[in-house]
Order: sequence, then structure tokens, then C-alpha cells
Amino acid sequence: MAESSAEPLVSHPPVVSTPPSGPPAIHADRLEVRYRNKVVWRNASFDVQRGEFVAVIGPNGAGKTTLFRMLLGLHWPSAGVLRVFDGAPRRGNPRIGYVPQRHTIDRDTHLECDKLVRLAYPGRQWGPGQRFRPIPWGPRFNLRQEADAAEQALEDVGASDLASKSLGALSGGELQRVFLAEALVGNPDMLLLDEPLSNLDIRRSRELVEVIHRLVQTRGVTTLLVAHDINPMIKCLDKVIYIANGKVATGRPSEVLTSASLTALYGVRVEVLRDSRNNIVIVGGEDDRGEEGA
Amino acid sequence: MSGGGPPWSWNLFTDLRFMWQYEFMRNAFEAGTIIALVAGLVGYFVVLRRSAFASHALGHTGFSGAAAAVLVGVDPVYGLLVFTMVTASGMALLGNRASNRDVEIGTVLAFALGLGLLFLSLYQGYATEAYSILFGEVLGISTAGVDFTFWTGLVVIAVVAMIYRPLLFASLDEDVAEAKGMPMLFLNLAFLLLLAVTISIAVQIIGVLLIFALMVTPAAIAVRLTKRAATAVIVSIVVAMTAVWAGLFIGFYEPYPVSFFIVGIVFVEYVCIRGMGVLRETEFLQAVDATEYEGVRSLRNASLSAAVAQALFVAGALFLTESLLAHPGAAWNAAGLYSHALLAIAFLVPAAFVGSVSFLLYFSGFRKMAASSRDFTSPAFLTLAGILGITMTVGGLGLFLGGVALNASAYPLAPVAILFGVPLLLLGVLLSVVGLFGQAVGNWRVGLRYEEGSLRTAAILTCLPFVGFAVAYVGYRRTLARGAPPTARPATV
Repeated sequence: MAESSAEPLVSHPPVVSTPPSGPPAIHADRLEVRYRNKVVWRNASFDVQRGEFVAVIGPNGAGKTTLFRMLLGLHWPSAGVLRVFDGAPRRGNPRIGYVPQRHTIDRDTHLECDKLVRLAYPGRQWGPGQRFRPIPWGPRFNLRQEADAAEQALEDVGASDLASKSLGALSGGELQRVFLAEALVGNPDMLLLDEPLSNLDIRRSRELVEVIHRLVQTRGVTTLLVAHDINPMIKCLDKVIYIANGKVATGRPSEVLTSASLTALYGVRVEVLRDSRNNIVIVGGEDDRGEEGA
Repeated sequence: MSGGGPPWSWNLFTDLRFMWQYEFMRNAFEAGTIIALVAGLVGYFVVLRRSAFASHALGHTGFSGAAAAVLVGVDPVYGLLVFTMVTASGMALLGNRASNRDVEIGTVLAFALGLGLLFLSLYQGYATEAYSILFGEVLGISTAGVDFTFWTGLVVIAVVAMIYRPLLFASLDEDVAEAKGMPMLFLNLAFLLLLAVTISIAVQIIGVLLIFALMVTPAAIAVRLTKRAATAVIVSIVVAMTAVWAGLFIGFYEPYPVSFFIVGIVFVEYVCIRGMGVLRETEFLQAVDATEYEGVRSLRNASLSAAVAQALFVAGALFLTESLLAHPGAAWNAAGLYSHALLAIAFLVPAAFVGSVSFLLYFSGFRKMAASSRDFTSPAFLTLAGILGITMTVGGLGLFLGGVALNASAYPLAPVAILFGVPLLLLGVLLSVVGLFGQAVGNWRVGLRYEEGSLRTAAILTCLPFVGFAVAYVGYRRTLARGAPPTARPATV
């Protein structure tokens, strides 16, 4: 992170920390999750306040994606309470924007980015697509609104210039921005981002984190981000949800990412080391194998 | 198909009118049009969802259905519909991604073919029925069959219109669509049922083994031409429709199966589109290690050779016109041309040669320029198309003249030579014009970069033979003589 002093972050407006009005965005109380009849993790209690930027970290198969699927109403908790914006999680919640880990989009997808973002616009989902008039010279459907929303979403993630490009022609970082715009298009109150940084190098990761952080600050959107490496975003985070060994630890990064709390979580000795650039390296934990960067 | 019909007259209107006298040809055209429309539409989603193999397998289960229907003595279409729809429902119920599981699909496919074989062996009239189900028998469609195809096609189009948007989204981004609360099972089932119905009616024209040509290839061509969903659907439909029409048309006058012509047309189109895509992406078109000065020099030589080529071409064309006017009854074949238009040939052959040399020089010049500015990559690509164009023109002309010269009854392949020669010739001429356009664009951009007005004038004058390139030659000479550094305008990145 020492490099970030050389290339300063985009100057953000001073953050006015609005006190969380109303209930928390996510409330979990003694939550237990099973996947294929095996307990993934249990007894997790945590709150995520509105407008918080939260990293969800932990080893593979720890149940990070399962947490997202529960919040989206695609997977039901086996015990405990989970509330999203003070309601039960349900499928098709328009207040949540989602970027899954794997998309079906690849090099052979020849379609405009703009189209993907537009398709995600909530509201009229049925019937034919753009510029459709049921009666000649009759009224159009409210497509202007949809086009504007898509344009705005692409602009917010700094991808306006990608609007008319083909999805298959984009680089990994550009594609993630478009997915982010796709999640953002209905003005959601919460973003669930599943490993958006996984295929990006360190510089692209930082750029994307910067975009996400700006969204958190300007739109006040509660954001949960699954990642393997916490270093690119550690300065922006409000909270960390660390899932490992069937248990969940939450709190501020400085509280969770300590040798003591991770040792308690894993049940074996874990060391949190910091290098000269203040990057975090976590040693131990998974079968005592060294695991770099959380 | 007719074989004994009137000879091919080269007058499209007479030919069409003659063909449409027959009811079976009218039926074939009507059914073919509807099928192409539906197949192009549904095919776009097949390509988007990558379920090409599933559509192939559905066709094969349709084969056993058709065979079963033949066995019990009903119209094969109904057997096709029942079997494909049951299989489609099974695929949908197995899960969202079941339609992409290669191994399972392959297993079912082999079993379905075997079952069809059993049904056919139980039935006595083995060969012809099997043949028409496997490869299509469009000329056997009855008027009732056309009505059935029409109404079924209408239902498919109506359903696609209703679920177009959610189906597009679910096909494109399954996980997000699911999270957004879209009815994935319903959409998957609806799509596979649409696919089943489309295949069932398309089998009439193209057969289960060749179903790919109508279901997948037109859409695959379309997505390479446009990145807009609605445009891609339209292009896909147009490609399928022209292939069916042209296939029927040629098939009527040639003694070979219609299915082959449809498949062949679609295949050639696909190869051309893919080839262009591959060329575009190769390193070959990227910048080479050369100075801009060298680029301008080869462009100067290129414009000179282009001017010479066009002068030769104009002279050749004039002599050809003159000899055609002088010998109105002369045979329109190689021997005839050789006897009465020798002078024209003497000019046209070198014109083709010098023309391809000029395209080649232009291409190398633009590539060298591309080292400094990306403005010159597309002219380089277009001039490359021009080289291809001239080669195809010459080849097509050769095939055509050869086919005409040979006796059709003695050499059964002579009509085939004509068949391939004419499209090759037309495509070649088209690509040559594209190459010419690339030269004009390139001249214009060099003029812009060096602020050399004569080059821009030359670009506009390209529409006049010889004059444009003569001016361009002067322009390039002036550019070189001026010795202006190539940094006259900053390189656009």
C-alpha cells in the first residue's frame, strides 16, 4: 500500500458519517448454515449497518458464497435468524445488486455491454426488447428511463466508454466494471460482490476497489465483497467478516485481523504479520499451511 | 430437381415464374420461409446459450419419433413433435445446466438414433423414409403441411416475443437472473420446448442430420457481424432465409439435393465471416517495424501500379465492349472470347496481375504506416480484402468459363463449376471494390496526416478509374519531396 502515496487516490468528498437510521442492513443472530446436509458454519451473530463497506474473507469452501446466496434468498438458513433491511431474505429483492463469481460471459459473447446493463433494469421484464411499440406510431414503453439508468450506472463505475463495446472484447477489469454497473442499475441499497478481484492484478484490483469505495461513499450503498486478498482494500473497509473453520468472526479490520482473534477462530496458532508496506500476511490456520494475504 | 425442366435462362424473372408454376415449389418456398424465420430467431438463443449440441441431440430424438410415427402410420411431423417435446421437457426438468452436459446428451443421442433405426426396421418401406427424415425432403411438403408449419411457426414467434427479454437475460447471465427472481425453470422449459417445435418443423426441409445449418450457423454468423441483440436476430433470420431460398432455387434447376445447397451456402458464408475475423485479429495486420518514410514510399509505388492497372483495365473493358458489340452472336465461353476478344484479354490479364500487385504494395505501405498510427490498420485490412477479391474474381471467372465450355452431359461436374464460379466471381468483385475503398480511405488519411491536399483529392477521385490513382501518385511524390517529418500531426493512439 506504500505505492498509494505515490499515486494518490481520487479525492473523495469528506465523508459525513450518517448515523445508521433504522434497523441494520443485515442482522444475523445465531445463524447456522448447511450445504448438502453438512454444517458449513454455525452460531454466527453479526450486524452490518447501512452504508458500510464490508469484506468477507476466508479460505475456499468456508461458506462465503453461501452467505450471499442466503442474503439473496436462494439458500435458506438451517437455524437462526437472518434479516435483510428488517425483512426476511427473498429472491428477486430489488434492493440488492449482485455480482456472481462466475458469469456465463466469455470471449464468444458478442453483445453490447449496454444491453447487459439494460436487461438488469428492474421493472418491465417481459415482452420484446428495445424500441418496441405495440401499435405503430403508438406510445412506446418507458425505455428512456431504462436507457438513462443504464447510462448512469455505467458512468458511476467509470465505464461510459465501454457502453457500445462487445462483452467478449473486454479485459477482466473492464468486465468487472460492467458487471458492477449491471448490479447497480436498479439503484440497490446493497451490493453483494463475489470475488470481483479474483482475476485482476494488484493495480486493477486497487482501481476497482476505488470505484466500489466511491460508490459506497456517494450512494451510501451497503457493500459486501468476497475476496481472497484483503490488502487492496484494507484502507477503505468498515468491517471484516472472517469465515473459517465453521465459525464467523466479525468486527473492524484492526480487531479481526490480529493473531489472537484468528487463532481463536481457527483453533490453531495463526500469526498475522505485516511487511514493510503494511501488507498483511496470515500464516498458519489452514492445516498450518502458509496462506498468503488472508 | 426437375432435370427435365426448361434450361436455365439467366433471366431471373422467367426462371422464377417457371419454377413457381409447380405447386410443390410454391409449398416448398412458403414452408421454407417460415422455417427459416423461426430457425433464425430461435437459433440466436441457441448460440447465446451455447446449446448447439442440445439442439443437435433434440433433432436425433426427433428421428426416432418420426420413425415411430411412420411405423404407426401418422404424419412424421407429429412423431417428431411428441418425441422432441418430451425430451426437451426432460432436459429442462433435469436442471438449468443439463442442456449443456455433453456426455449425457451424447448418450441420449446415440440411444435415440438406435431406437429410430429399430422403428424403421420394423417398418417395411425403409430406405426412402429414413432418407427423407435424415436429410430432409422439402419438395414433398403438402399444402396441409404448409398450413401446419405456418401456425406452429406463428405460435413459436408469439411465444418468443413474449419471453424475449427475460430469456435474453437468463441466457446471458444466469446467476444474476436467478437472483433477480426470474422463473428459471419456466424459461428453460419454454426455451427447450420452442427449440423442440422449431426442430420438428425444420426437419422437413433440412433433415435431422443437417439441422445445424439452419439452427446454429446463421445465428453464429449474425453474432460475428453485429453486437446488438435485435440486429443479430434479424441478420440470423436473413441469412437463414436467403440460404433456404437460394438452396431451393438452385436445387430446382440442378439435379442435386436442396439440403446440400442450403448447407453449402451457409457454410461458405460462415467460413468467409470467420476468415475475416481471424485475419483481423492476426499479428499479420499489426504494425511492423518500419519507418513511416518507407511506408509513404511503398504507397507511392503502390499508387503508380494502381494507376497502371486501372488504365489497363479501362482499355481492356473498352476492347471487350467493342468486340461484344461487333460480334453479338459470339459464344460466351473461353473459346469464343479467345477468338473474338483477344485484345481485351491481352489487357485484362495484366490488369488483374498489376492490380493485385498494387493492392499488395498498398497493404505493405499501410502496414508500415500503422507502426506510427492506428489510423492505418483498417485501410491495411481492407486492401488485404482487395487482394483476396482479385484472386477470387479470377478464380470465379475461370470456373465459370470452364464450366460453360465443358459439355454438361459429358462432364457432370460442369454445372457445379458454374454453380461455384458465379458466387465466387460476384464475391470477388465485391471484395475488390472493398479493397478500392480501403485504398481511398488510406489515401485520405495520409493526406490528412501530412496536410497534403492532393492526396485527399485523389481519395475522392478514386471513383474515376485511373485519374484518382494518377493524382495519388503525384500526391505521394510531393509528400516525399517535401521531406516533411512524419510528425506533422501527432500519431493518434
